[in-house]
Order: sequence, then structure tokens, then C-alpha cells
Amino acid sequence: MVTYNPLNALLIFLIIIVLVYLLFRPKKGWFWIVKNNYNTNEKTVVEDILKLLYHSENDGEIVTKSELTSKLNFKTNLIQNSIEKMISNHFIEVENEKIKLTNNGRAYALRIIRVHRLWEKFLAEKTGYDKLEWHERAEQKEHQLNTEEANLLAAQLGEPKFDPHGDPIPSQSGKMAILNGVPLSSLPIYTIGKIVHIEDEPEVAYKQILAENIHIGSHIKVLENNATRVTFYAEGEEFKLSPKVAENLTIDVIEKHHLDENKLVRLTNLKEQETATIIGLSKESRGESRRRLLDLGFVKGAKISIDLINPLKEPTAYLIKETSIALRNNQASNILIKKD
Amino acid sequence: MRNNNIEHILKLSKELRWEIGDDFHDSLAEGIYADAADLVSNSVTKDNSKSKLRLDTKIDKIVTSKTWGFPIMFLILAVVLWLTIIGSNYPSSLLAQVLLNDFHPLLKTFASNIGMPWWLSGFLIDGIYLAVAWVIAVMLPPMAIFFPLFTLLEDFGYLPRVAFNLDSLFKKAGAHGKQALTMSMGFGCNAAGVIATRIIDSPRERLIAIITNNFSLCNGRWPTQIVIATIFIGAAVPSSFSGLASLTAVIGIAILGIFFMFFSSWALSKTVLKGEVSTFNLELPPYRPPRFWQTIYTSIIDRTLIVLWRAVVFAAPAGAVIWLVSNIYIGNESVAAWIINSLDGFGFLLGLNGVILLAYIVAIPANEIVIPTILMLTVLVTGISGGHGAGVMFELNSANATGVILKAGGWTLLTAVNLMLFSLLHNPCSTTIYTIYKETKSLKWTTVATVFPIILGFIVTFLVAQIWRIF
Repeated sequence: MVTYNPLNALLIFLIIIVLVYLLFRPKKGWFWIVKNNYNTNEKTVVEDILKLLYHSENDGEIVTKSELTSKLNFKTNLIQNSIEKMISNHFIEVENEKIKLTNNGRAYALRIIRVHRLWEKFLAEKTGYDKLEWHERAEQKEHQLNTEEANLLAAQLGEPKFDPHGDPIPSQSGKMAILNGVPLSSLPIYTIGKIVHIEDEPEVAYKQILAENIHIGSHIKVLENNATRVTFYAEGEEFKLSPKVAENLTIDVIEKHHLDENKLVRLTNLKEQETATIIGLSKESRGESRRRLLDLGFVKGAKISIDLINPLKEPTAYLIKETSIALRNNQASNILIKKD
Repeated sequence: MRNNNIEHILKLSKELRWEIGDDFHDSLAEGIYADAADLVSNSVTKDNSKSKLRLDTKIDKIVTSKTWGFPIMFLILAVVLWLTIIGSNYPSSLLAQVLLNDFHPLLKTFASNIGMPWWLSGFLIDGIYLAVAWVIAVMLPPMAIFFPLFTLLEDFGYLPRVAFNLDSLFKKAGAHGKQALTMSMGFGCNAAGVIATRIIDSPRERLIAIITNNFSLCNGRWPTQIVIATIFIGAAVPSSFSGLASLTAVIGIAILGIFFMFFSSWALSKTVLKGEVSTFNLELPPYRPPRFWQTIYTSIIDRTLIVLWRAVVFAAPAGAVIWLVSNIYIGNESVAAWIINSLDGFGFLLGLNGVILLAYIVAIPANEIVIPTILMLTVLVTGISGGHGAGVMFELNSANATGVILKAGGWTLLTAVNLMLFSLLHNPCSTTIYTIYKETKSLKWTTVATVFPIILGFIVTFLVAQIWRIF
């Protein structure tokens, strides 16, 4: 330790920290970039192209080769090679630069979409990953699971029909439920409906929807719809969105409805001294958390009132079946009640 | 043919399952629960006048009120810790007197009388017996006081209210309010704290509580903190403040531990543990008068003795190792001296020294014997007078005499501060590590819980040492 000097030691330490940060920082770390590049092979590219074509054709758009390269984040020659391979495998047909899916190609694309949505369902039901991570993780996983594994997963999840965002999951034989509904931004005021789908792309809009605490399955009533703002009422609260964000919510319009939506509110709206009856749990309460709530007696028809308010505001203790149970606000907002 | 049929039926059933849709399972569950509730309300009659006792509501309003909730909580925790530290002083010194000062020489005399070779009596009596005796003397009294007190509070029903009051702080760190309880339990003993995490039924939050429990200063480490703070921190300020200064230093370390607990809970929940399932619920049971004798009995048998037994099992080989490294020679130097010399450079970087690092390596089984081991090793390598011979751990009655030996070993105020930090931030003792494995059944999480605090300890002591030396 002849050259020891505390400043040098600190400097070396700092350099190591910076290196570790550059290597492993989330997403942009060099280690992850190298790992991702290593994982990106032709299969991934082919499957991503098929997915893109499938969604575009469903929207009635036709995709050209140059559009493909600009929309997908891969090297041009990689895409070029993949396209040639797909033509020789009869997944696609190319006519004057325009690319079309063959029946084979459509079936393949549907399989990938099935895995993607199944995996999102799995993440929602069986793990604790944040909603914001579901899409990215499923983007990786869809290239890794084969048909057999996907079928096992589907069986384990109880052959689900919809993924957590409300997108239909194709069944093993390729059948797919139809998503009825129109974008929220297109609805006139006083329309009543139910949120059946929340789009998770682009991430900025999705983050805003999550921050507003908007739940899939909620009954809504449009209060205001103009060029700058869409306002709607749902479960005792008012939500304001920009029309751009409102486009990402799909609403199934209800003509006649028997439930008085003004009385249906979230448990977070309950005040001290009030009593209420539970109507049900929101679709946003999933997996283990949902089962735990059911086990504790938060079921349709149960009477509920507030037992204790917390000195730090959260959690609140509720009196249910003569037991005092404390819940955090994010859980309470998933419990729907009707005040007495 | 038949097989074909079954395949067909299975396929059909899958398709039908899909056709029914996702709400089916939920409606079924809801229906069952609703039916059950109906049956209960039709057939069970109960005395409504007694539901939710008035007294309960009154107590709850006070212990969870904005004004009184937190003062009551801190007061109770302070009283419990005070009773434990003060109350265990006397029995601890009595045990130490009997087991270490009286019985140990007796055993040695007995051994030499029956003609036992020196190495065997050294190995068995100076090594194994001494380590076990030490652990019992330091560990038993505080645990026998702390656990019953804690269990009484638990039995009365107060502890869930603490979790209720504090939950929103823990939520910000991605943890469960009940971690407040397992953390407090950790002040008694980390192994017991880890077992106590069973009350947290959410997998992610339970793992967080297990991994961060080590940041609660356990009763094996309190004496180390107090001795070092008294010798070095107390001496660094005018003598009229020395008591206050050393007390503040020790409490400061404990609070720093709580800070690290929150910080690492947050970090863990955002990184390695983010995929684990997370749920929350907290039941506030009605109060009831604690069953005093039963509580005392079960807390002593279930908590204290089981943990003590595990500690003894691990301390015995540690004592043997301590004696062996000090008495086996390679060339002219004992193994201990060799290791200390090779660790000195690294120790210096951390503001510690080779003796401390070796003491922490051999004392992994029990933090209680760190100071005695350090004293013995310091005497061994510096060759100053004092001590009881190679491999025989000892402690001195006066803090001053201990300070003299440590200063002869080259200790400065920096060494003392970093030792206090390192005592807070290092791997859990082997009893705790074993308990973590038993509770998680996972090598991965056991390794994380073991390695994570020590890396944190290296980083913190390293930074403190460099910055200290610059100024």
C-alpha cells in the first residue's frame, strides 16, 4: 500500500460504480443491450413482422417494405433476409412492394399473439410485476414459448378468453372472441357504457390511464366531450382525459341498463359513520389479492362500514362481518359498494 | 378408438371452458360465498349487544389517534428495550461470573488433575466450552426478558395496531406494516425476527422482511456497540458529556439500521423481488387480557430456548476454530497471525484491521463473542501483557482496561466508528442464516440475505474511512 491515498481510493470506487451503472442500468445498460442483441435472431424478426402485418391488415391498412423497416427497430438487412425467408416459407406474398399475409402466415401470427396475451394474463394473475412491465415482458416471452407450452399455460390459467387489457386471446384452435366497442373519444355526452379494453401502447398514454386509476370493467357515463377534454363519471368519481388518451379506452355502449350507476361507488368513497353493501370486486383486483379479499368476506351482499381511520391516512380499517380488517386504498378502490 | 374418444372429449372441454368466459370462475366463487352468508344469517343467532365491545373501540380510538398513536408506540418500545437492557445486566453478569470466572478455572484444574493433555483441554475447555458459555451468558437474560414482554403485547392485541399505524411508511418502501413488528422482534434476536415474519402472508413482503431483518441491531450486538461507544466516543468529548455522547452514538447506530432497513426494502422491492406476488391485508383482532403464565411459558420455551439452542450448536464449533487458529503454527506464526496479516491491507481500506475481520469471520456463529475474540487476538498479535493465553477469549471488567488493549492494537476513533458501523452492517449470524434457509427453503434468497448486508457494510465503512482520512 505504498501508493495509498484516500482520494485515489475514492476515485477508483467511483469509477467502479459508474461502470456497474453503465453495464446494468435498467434497459439501456450495456449488458442488457448485448444480451438483447444476442437474443435477437431471425425467428424474432420474422415473428415481429408477422404480428405487425396481422394488426395492420385487421385495421385495413396495407404495409409496404419501406414502412416495415421504419416501423420495426431492426437492421435493414436483417429485415430483408427475413422477408425473403418468409416468402420461401409461404407466410407472405409480395406484390409491387405491398406485403400480404397468406393463410399460413395469419395462423402463425395468431399463435404469437396467443402466447403474448396468455403471458400477460399469467403475469397479471400469478406474479407481482407492475402493469407497466407486462407488455415488455410478454414481447420477450412470445418468441420463447412453443405451442405445447402455450397450451399448458392456457390450461393452467383456465383457458382465459381475454387478457388483462381486454384483448381477446385466440383459443387453441384459433377461435377468438370479438371485442365490441368504440373509442371513448367518439362518444356523445350522457352515453352510458362499460370499459372493455385499455390499450397499453403508447406507454405515455398508458401511464396516464394508470395514474388516473381507471379500471377495466367500470361502468361509465360521459359528461363532457370536446376537442380539449373528455370527462366521464365512473364509480363515484370523475375522470378527465385528453381526447388523445381517451382514444385508448374502448367502451361497450349499454342501451338499457338496470344498475343505477350513480349509486355504485368505490369503497374509497365511503365516509365514517356510513354503511354500505358490497356489490362486487373490480376486474382490476386479480390473482392472489382477489382470492384473499374473497376469503376475508369481501363478497357481494356483505355489509361494510369504517372502523378506524389511520393517523397517516392509510390503510383504513373496515368493519366487515364483525371483524376489523385494514385495507390499503389501492385495494379499497377495487371494491365496489352501494351506500345504504 | 377409446383413446381417440378421450382426446376428443378433452379437446371439446377445453373449447367449452373457453366459451364460458373468464367471469365464470368468479361468479361461481361469489355464489358460494353468498350462499354461505345466507345460510349463516338464516341459522345462526347471536347476541348483538356484545358485538364489538365498547372498550375495544375506545382503546382503538386512542392508540390509533393522530395525537397519541405515535407517542404511545415509542414509549412502549422504549420501555421494553430499557427493561431488557437494564433488567438483563444483573443476571448476565451473574452468569458470566459463574460460567466464565468460577467454573472455567475449575474445569481447567479438573482437566489437569486427571492428566488431560494441554491441547485437548485447550480445545475442549478454552475453545468450545468458553464460546458456548459466553453465548449463554450474553444471550439468555435479554431474550428471557424481551420475548415474554413482546409476546404479552402480542397476546393483548396491541401489536397489530402498531402495524396499522405504521403501514403507510412501510408501503412507501414496498413493505408490509407488519414488518414493524418483525423488525422490533429483530432488536431481540434476528433469528426470532425471521421466524416472526410468518405473520406476513404476502410472499414478496415476507421475503423483504426476512432479508432486511438483519438491520435490526440484535441483543448480541448491543453490548459491542455500548462498549466501543463508551471507550472511544465517550472519550472524544468533554467528560461531562461522555455518557450522553456514547448513548447518542449507540441509538444513532440503531436508527441508522432502521434507515438501512427502509432503504434496502425499497431497493429490493424495486429490483430482485418485483416479480414476487404481493397482497395486503391486516386483521385487527379484538383485545383480550393476556394469558400471563401461558405466555411466559410459551415464549421462553418456543422462542428463547429454541433460539438459544441453535446458537449454542453453532457457537461450539466457532469456539473450537478460535482456539485452533490461535494455537496451530505454520512456521513461526500462528494461523491467526497469518490470516490477520493477510487481511490487514483490506481491513485498512475499510478503516478496520485484520484482527476485526478475522474476529468477524470466526464469530459468524455468534456476534456475542466478537469483542472477547478481538481482545484475545489483539493480545496475541501485539504481544502485550494481559489476556489468558492463546485461544482463550476474555473480557475485562473495566472499559478503560479494554480501551488500553485496543489502543495498543492501533485503534483510533475511526476504527471504533467503523467497527460500530460494521457491527450493524455485516452478514447475519449463522443461526439467522440457517433460520432464513429453513423459512424460505431457498438457497438463492439465503445467499442474498447473507451477502447483501456485508457488501453494504464494505461500501459504507470504505466510504467513511476515505472521507475521514481526507479531512
